[in-house]
Amino acid sequence: MMTRFNQLPTLRIDPTKKVIFNYKGKSCAGSEGDTVATALYANGVRVFARSLKYHRPRGLYSLDGECSNTCMEVDGIPNVRTENTLAKQGMEVKEQNVKGSAENDMMAFIDKLDWMMPAGFYYRTMHKPASMWPVAMKQIRKAAGLGVMSPDHVTPGKFDEIFPRTDVVVIGGGPAGMQAALAAADKGVRVIIMESRPWLGGFFDYRAAEYSKGKPLYSRARELAEKVEAHPGIRVLKHTSMVGAYSNNLVTGFQIGGEGDSFTERYVEIRANAVVVAVGCIERPLIFDNNERPGVMQVACAHRLARTYGILAGEKALFSVGHDLGLEAAIDLYDLGMKIACVADIREDGQNPELLLELAKRNIPVLKGWVVTKAHGSKQVKKATIATIDGTITRDFNCNVIVASAGFTPITGPLTLAGAKLRYDSHTNFFIPETLPEKTHIAGRMTGLEDSMAIEASGTLAGIKAAMDSLACTCCGSESASEGDSEGDSKEKSSSSSCCEACDDAALKAAEEALKALPGPSRGTKLVTAPVKGRKSFICFDEDTTIKNIKQAIEMGFDVPELIKRFTSAGTGPGQGGIPGHNLPLFVAKYEALSGVPAPVRPTTVRPPLVPTLIATYAGTNHIMMKRTPMDEMQRSDGGIFRKIGVWERARYFSDDFECKAEIENVRNNVGMLDGSTLGKFRIHGPDALKALQRVYTSDMSKIKPGRVKYSAMCNDDGCVIDDGVVIKIAENDYYFTTSTGRAGQTVEWVRYHTRYDGWDFNMVNLTDSMGVINLSGPNARKVLQKITDEDVSNEAFPFSAYKEFMVKDTIPVKAMRLGFVGELSYEFHVPSSYMVSLWNMLKEAGKEFGIKNFGVEAQNVLRMEKCHIILGQESEQRTNLLDLGLGFLWDRKKTDAKTVGAVALAQAEKDQTRFRLVGFKMENNGRAPKDGSLIVDDKVRGYICTARDSFSLNEAVGMALVESHMAKIGTRLEIFEDECGDQRIYGKVVPMPFYDPDGSRMKS
Amino acid sequence: MALTITCPVCGKRNGYEFRYGGEDKGPRPDEAGLTPQSWCDYVHMNNCVAGVQKEWWFHKDGCGSWFTIHRNTTTNLQVATPEADR
Repeated sequence: MMTRFNQLPTLRIDPTKKVIFNYKGKSCAGSEGDTVATALYANGVRVFARSLKYHRPRGLYSLDGECSNTCMEVDGIPNVRTENTLAKQGMEVKEQNVKGSAENDMMAFIDKLDWMMPAGFYYRTMHKPASMWPVAMKQIRKAAGLGVMSPDHVTPGKFDEIFPRTDVVVIGGGPAGMQAALAAADKGVRVIIMESRPWLGGFFDYRAAEYSKGKPLYSRARELAEKVEAHPGIRVLKHTSMVGAYSNNLVTGFQIGGEGDSFTERYVEIRANAVVVAVGCIERPLIFDNNERPGVMQVACAHRLARTYGILAGEKALFSVGHDLGLEAAIDLYDLGMKIACVADIREDGQNPELLLELAKRNIPVLKGWVVTKAHGSKQVKKATIATIDGTITRDFNCNVIVASAGFTPITGPLTLAGAKLRYDSHTNFFIPETLPEKTHIAGRMTGLEDSMAIEASGTLAGIKAAMDSLACTCCGSESASEGDSEGDSKEKSSSSSCCEACDDAALKAAEEALKALPGPSRGTKLVTAPVKGRKSFICFDEDTTIKNIKQAIEMGFDVPELIKRFTSAGTGPGQGGIPGHNLPLFVAKYEALSGVPAPVRPTTVRPPLVPTLIATYAGTNHIMMKRTPMDEMQRSDGGIFRKIGVWERARYFSDDFECKAEIENVRNNVGMLDGSTLGKFRIHGPDALKALQRVYTSDMSKIKPGRVKYSAMCNDDGCVIDDGVVIKIAENDYYFTTSTGRAGQTVEWVRYHTRYDGWDFNMVNLTDSMGVINLSGPNARKVLQKITDEDVSNEAFPFSAYKEFMVKDTIPVKAMRLGFVGELSYEFHVPSSYMVSLWNMLKEAGKEFGIKNFGVEAQNVLRMEKCHIILGQESEQRTNLLDLGLGFLWDRKKTDAKTVGAVALAQAEKDQTRFRLVGFKMENNGRAPKDGSLIVDDKVRGYICTARDSFSLNEAVGMALVESHMAKIGTRLEIFEDECGDQRIYGKVVPMPFYDPDGSRMKS
Repeated sequence: MALTITCPVCGKRNGYEFRYGGEDKGPRPDEAGLTPQSWCDYVHMNNCVAGVQKEWWFHKDGCGSWFTIHRNTTTNLQVATPEADR
């Protein structure tokens, strides 16, 4: 293991704290703050992975996750970008896409077979004959690809999501971003700043060069970071990568949790009034032979490796660069102890003379107009060949690191996603925005600025602009806030100034002047490739695309970078175009110009997510949250077996017998109790309450008698039944009604939607959760009830279909209804949720002598089916209308003034013979009941089984089915097709409904 | 959903809180004289404007009110209510 610097002021690791993790079964030590990749590098690992297609050795190249070179399997998760992932105690790290090891990969011979695999070979070969493709595909998939995912892998960790709202969001926590955040926050608006690294500081953070007299850049970065973090108006999201931008200034990203955070990763979705994009630049890779051999790395990678992580990339380096930061890095690394073989600078002139002087002082040879053309060494760099730009003179240097970079490229992804149109700027050699979306501003290095002061000044300016965008004027009424924004974000402004912050453009003008006085964008180098043929010169590392492949694609007629990207797959890997994103269009334009067809430099398209994100992060927290009734605990201790039903968990069975024989027989012969609290319960009151009911219910609701229960249904505008329930008139203009369990959530919305034009005066209260329901059913139900109340509940005083309010034990107010859903003497008690357990216990106690028992949802389902009482969604589906169900009597066709929802469609469907009808049937020859959902067939599908059960009460199998209307006649034979029944059919016969107690004497007595 | 909606009761809120209620087609027509065609047009047919349209939204995770906004369907941004509609 090499020695590491542990005293540098720029370090982001804590050398005193060790992190031990496993790499290929051996334990490996890093320091706290190390990424997995830097810790491995410190442990001497140079070959991190093998490439997708050719199995070439790959090493540390950029430190910012722009390529898949350092993708590894970490804790079972493949394709983890180890250079962006902090090393943690006990991590399991493995290489991927290797047979053997990354160091000695048995598939490495493929690199020699590249002639067999020209651009797009898999599109053009192996498809004739067609039978060849599946065989070939299998082999290719085995050999190629990045990580492997176990099919039963479960991503460990806690995932969360936040949806903050802010005035200004700043993307990028470098000097420009920090200045923008400070300038905006000083204007009094709320700011969120996102930074993908775990600290603020950007490219100032690791540089020892002078910012101002006696102050190095890294000190300046820390000074700004402290200010930003201390500012009460700024929320700092570090370790947060931006992944998407959408209209309305919606910015998304994900944050990686650190120690003490309650999440492993969390999705962040920010709604802002204004956006500042200050994401800076990445380096534009220099393309030469073997330009991705381990040992070749970018300038910032070598520089940060030393300054941030305390690791010298190697003993001796050769620099081949195209910008002053490269010269600066060479000087700094020399001072830290690295031998520099030579600095080849692409530029013939234009270097910063001070840097040249410093290089000369150190006797570092600088060759202007030279570039590296080849890296030698089979698994690591041993030697480099450099040449003049025209390739005429060459020289070799021994070295084990090649620091190479052609120039800079702005990270334009965020801009493109936000909707900016980019154009190529010849001076900077950058893609810069031609137009920016509304309220979006850019700042910093991505505008081409290089001067530290200018970068900061551009940040300040963008911050002021963004703040003004999001402030509403409080003095002159000028509309600077977003349209339709009625929310007064701006606080009381001091009245001393003649104008408010939103209109105060003095600061804006000052910032503009300040920026103008500083150096503008600098000239960018344009060289893409060294003078090489390009067979082993890689434009895209992730997809193993060479310069030769690009040439092949162009020669095959692909002329637009976007198409070439598709055909050669350059830029479609995990690095999301970080490596070829800029070089590809530059190279294509250059190559096409050679053939006499000058083409504009056009960028390829980027799409979210800009950086690879775990699906688990997008999924966020586990949102399964079920509602529980007031009886939940007691039903569980009574042995209830629970099932998820809609938004509820309900007791479906009370024994292992899922046919519920005991429960059913107890209700039929004795008395049972069901927790019906999930029923939707509503109060509607106000002068126009009746009008609203007339609108949504099909029956004439003006005929509801006090003390009576009215059963009715709601339809949609197609006449299809969406809900049924009972309505009770509590008082004048005051009604209580129930809906089915599944409709409770939408009922208020539904009623208000269908009355939205009328301006009626009524109020609705959703009582679903505040009221519970107990259903007491069975021949002994009255005897049980009589024991707990003095109220006269005889059949005369409280007959079927009646409604009564009374007190139990002078304490519990009960709304009681005589209903008969299960077909027996039956009471439904609606009581406040808090009294549910007490009332339940009273009934249980009172029913003890009769052997009262729980019954669950399945028993109820069978009981009501025997009685042919429908459950919507079981005996109906989306297309089933009121008439199909035989519920036409619920439709009052005289109340046309009410404009009842569904009435028009019902009138139109009335004579339609092509519709389904609900019928009852029983199985022939004492056969068993078919499965729910089985089909009714002859030579065609004629309908389906809704619910069918072997009935204990009737001693035969019965059910209900929806069939074509011509088959609805009593006695029709039904041929039933069950899933996977083969040629076997079972048969039933249409019979009159209901099956049980046809005259209703049991439920009415 | 990138849409942000200004509810007349609750103010500017996240679009996830709302449910779309369709284009504004005016009050329910009188039942007398409705043909299947005209009824179907009212219930199911939409203008699908590429531009600014008046439409209904329900603040389901908020105040529970139905209200109209004007939205540019090409940018998916809420726009100010035109003078004529105020």
